[in-house]
Amino acid sequence: MASHSNQKVDIHDEVNYDPTVWVPKVHSHGTSDIWKKFWILLVLTIIDVVFYFVMEPSMARNIIFIALGVVKAIYITGTFMHMKHEKLGLASMIVLPMFFIIFFLVWMMYEGNFWGSF
Amino acid sequence: MSTQTIPKSRTWGGGNSPFNVSYGKLMMWVFLLSDAFTFSSLLIGYGAIRYSNPSTPIEQIESLDLGFGENIQEKFAAPGVDAHHGEHFIPALRELTVFSEHQWPSPDLVFNHFPFAHGLHLPLIFVSLMTLILILSSVTMVLGVEAGQRGDEKAVSKWMLYTIIGGFMFLGCQAWEWTNFITAGATPWANPYGPPSFAALFFLVTGFHGFHVFSGVVLNIIVYINNLKGTYAKRGHYEMVEKVGLYWHFVDLVWVFVFTFFYLI
Repeated sequence: MASHSNQKVDIHDEVNYDPTVWVPKVHSHGTSDIWKKFWILLVLTIIDVVFYFVMEPSMARNIIFIALGVVKAIYITGTFMHMKHEKLGLASMIVLPMFFIIFFLVWMMYEGNFWGSF
Repeated sequence: MSTQTIPKSRTWGGGNSPFNVSYGKLMMWVFLLSDAFTFSSLLIGYGAIRYSNPSTPIEQIESLDLGFGENIQEKFAAPGVDAHHGEHFIPALRELTVFSEHQWPSPDLVFNHFPFAHGLHLPLIFVSLMTLILILSSVTMVLGVEAGQRGDEKAVSKWMLYTIIGGFMFLGCQAWEWTNFITAGATPWANPYGPPSFAALFFLVTGFHGFHVFSGVVLNIIVYINNLKGTYAKRGHYEMVEKVGLYWHFVDLVWVFVFTFFYLI
């Protein structure tokens, strides 16, 4: 077993690891994907602005904005936060709770509509 | 050791994670999930309160006949009054009951300022610029993370510096936005635009997000200085850049939704 601190330990060792310093080996996925996602995010934001000026305010427009926000969130978490390269267990632990919150968000906006009408 | 048949990395023996990430990174993810819950609760509350108030009728907004880039201070100044000084747009809209406690103000009529374009009607342009700044600083951050994965110390410094500058630019924009809002008379308990909860929620949610941006800039500066001192090169990996990067991207992610809820909806 690798001992703690003062001795030289292999921080990447998968078998005889020291949990206090262990980190997995990482490798770069290059920069082309990052720039591609930047342009996608930029275009999605421009689409947001276009919808804002072209379409009249309505619940349908709100849902379009939220859907575009979710698409942006997928690209930011997936590529920028490296989630698409993580293990499925980690990804689902983080993404699933947030996925269900989207329904709560839309539902409470709809629900709020009725609060003033009693 | 001889009894061990499967590598420990595939088991959950209280040692390293089956998710194949280090303890620190896993805890950063757990923290971000809990922080996402906090922001979700704020946005859910916002959505519900926003729609418990009636929206400003579209006909009322159209009757103002505002052109994009039009000088609204001149347009709504009373005849014979100096249109270049003082606020004329908000009092006029209160007079017309477009701004009133009984309806939620349209973001079009509230967030329509742009620096050095005093009095011009430019809705959404300034926040779109803020969004662009934050997305760009997210890109420079992830380029810094990528440089760290290659062990390129100099490139990490360069991209971290760009990210810090982007963070300060965003904070500057937000300070300008708040200054505008406050000088118009908005406080957490009253505002000239609409129901008191309008400004209260604006201060609460953008303030909470702005504080996250500020904390992110502080963390980025710490990582930048550590990298200049060669801490990560000595350690043999740049995972701290990745962990702080996760936080910074999260801040960007939250802004996507703050932008959606406060300025678009």
